[in-house]
Amino acid sequence: MIRRVAARLRAAIGLRRRGARASGVVGVAFAQIRRAPRRTVLAVFAVALVVLSVTLLASLGVGVVAIGEDGLENANRDIWLSSDPIDPAASGTENPIGGAHEVTADLEAREDVSSASPIAMYEVYLGTDPEALERTSAVGVPQTHSGFDFQAGGGFEIEEEAAEEAMTEGEPTTEEVVLDPATADRLDASPGDTVYIATSRQSAPEYEFTVVGTSGYYSQYLGSEASAVPLPDLLAVAGTSGTDRSTFVTADAAPGEDPQAVAADIDDAYPEYDVRASDEQIGAMAEKRPLVLASGLTLVGLAVVGGVVLTVNLFALVASQQREELAALRAIGLSRWVLAGTIGAQGLVIGLLGGIVGLLATPALATGLNRVVIEVIGFERLLRTPLEVYVVGFVLAALVGTIVALVAGWRAGRYARIEHLGA
Amino acid sequence: MRIPNRSLRRSSSADTEATVDDETGPAVRLENVRHEYGSTTGRFRSRSEQAVTALRDVSVDVKRGEVLGLEGPSGSGKSTILHAIAGLLVPTDGTVSVLGTDLTELSDRGRTRTRRRHVGIVFQRFHLLQSLSARANVALPLVQVGLPKSARRERATTLLSEVGLEDRVTHLPSELSGGERQRVAIARALSTDPDILVADEPTGELDTDTGADVLELLTDVGRDRAVIVASHDAATLAVADRVVTLRDGAVIEGER
Repeated sequence: MIRRVAARLRAAIGLRRRGARASGVVGVAFAQIRRAPRRTVLAVFAVALVVLSVTLLASLGVGVVAIGEDGLENANRDIWLSSDPIDPAASGTENPIGGAHEVTADLEAREDVSSASPIAMYEVYLGTDPEALERTSAVGVPQTHSGFDFQAGGGFEIEEEAAEEAMTEGEPTTEEVVLDPATADRLDASPGDTVYIATSRQSAPEYEFTVVGTSGYYSQYLGSEASAVPLPDLLAVAGTSGTDRSTFVTADAAPGEDPQAVAADIDDAYPEYDVRASDEQIGAMAEKRPLVLASGLTLVGLAVVGGVVLTVNLFALVASQQREELAALRAIGLSRWVLAGTIGAQGLVIGLLGGIVGLLATPALATGLNRVVIEVIGFERLLRTPLEVYVVGFVLAALVGTIVALVAGWRAGRYARIEHLGA
Repeated sequence: MRIPNRSLRRSSSADTEATVDDETGPAVRLENVRHEYGSTTGRFRSRSEQAVTALRDVSVDVKRGEVLGLEGPSGSGKSTILHAIAGLLVPTDGTVSVLGTDLTELSDRGRTRTRRRHVGIVFQRFHLLQSLSARANVALPLVQVGLPKSARRERATTLLSEVGLEDRVTHLPSELSGGERQRVAIARALSTDPDILVADEPTGELDTDTGADVLELLTDVGRDRAVIVASHDAATLAVADRVVTLRDGAVIEGER
């Protein structure tokens, strides 16, 4: 009993001593920080830059991966019917669903489906002069919607009856087109202008379309410039009105229905097609973009590794600058742990301040960079900063900063020798 | 003017620090100490680097209450002896005993502990932390001991009063004169109530009058300690009970 009490007493005293030692270490660390305000400000600025490099590069990585997924998410459709292989980057070469309007009508007839519509993709020739055409992607859809976020003009909408009639006759309907903004700039085309769209150079003069607006909606989805035209018009241009081919047929589950269950039911009904709920479709599309995924992950990895390397260099420098003070502390009997603690505590403070500055600056810089990106390549929100990216940036600054500073202080304790005191 | 503070003493393991407080033997004993700088087998040492012999078979004892002077020109090995006594370097050969414990047998951690508890150091250039007040500088060694802040402040204030700086407690080193800085350094060296005090050219940065004051203080505080003062200044060495003269790392007069 007495031994146990004595042991507890010793433990309590030991804890008190450690606490007192820690408070002393923190006091010295703060004094050192205050002593050299310019060095402190520069170190905080450096950590903020590290955090910014991590958050912005990681945001770019996340954006690169997410930008393709956005097309599907923005389409806001519950169910996607397709047939492998689907490669949006090779739009036009894969339109495996024949009789798309029939499939669409069948789906709409189901009680558990509220609406359905086909989407087709083709590689086309496009230009304001039928003698000077460029190759680009065209997406055929029944109508545009508010998600297009038009930069100029507006969209189009085709009446169902008009669409059916056009499909039967193999003729276009309104012959309207929403151009990608970069394409529009290059062609110097704006709403009201005429462009030619065809699947061959020879047939281009036959198909005149009126530009009704500009939007990067499908460009973001495909990862390359793409313009949107009414589906019957695209099929007419491609000469596939008869076979009525499309890349996807999308559908919305009826209110109260579980999209996953409806997708499973439809999958049973159409064994020749792949039917996926929206989330599954996003995953399937992402899997088919290993390059994009690899690029995104590489950027995130580079950001973290680069940030750690920069932080290591920074705190090695901070410790080295205090070599003489550390040597003096060592000479008067302070342990290497206490020396490491004084540098580590400085690392924590500098890391926290730099982390906060870096995180506060991230949204503003990401917004600015996104504006530049829109101007240059037309992609919206290329940099995306989810909460996880902020957390990684802050953890890197505070935790890695502290650990690295502790290690730097510990190492400094070794090289902070009496020789560094001069006399 | 010893200000004992028993709370600073703690039990310790025999293998990590000096534990034998032999009242009868010398406080410090150097036996056949030889030291070469650059004699370590560092991986990246230049081939052209030549080992420099700093000490050659030095044997010296220092008793409690004795003030030993180390005299000699620059490069004669005075500072190397002080650093060996403080455990700041391990000589290439020979033994350095502090209170009966051979420092050369201890780990770096053990030597640091021994230095912290038994050896106070005073440097020529003071080496105070410029970011800390006089009181905080004096209290620094007590941080490692784990004394609460209030106790650290109290002891540091008392020590500063003892060295005549009661009105300079909160001043930064940059706000103090050279003599005052050295007094703060002496107070810092005394903060853990050491048995041994080593001073390397303690008056080297001071004018004659200030130097005399500092020497008086050193001899006063060293009354019941072993004090080793290295200097090439005759006035400084005049306060010593015994002077050992060094030339090229060897004792030429005053050994043992």
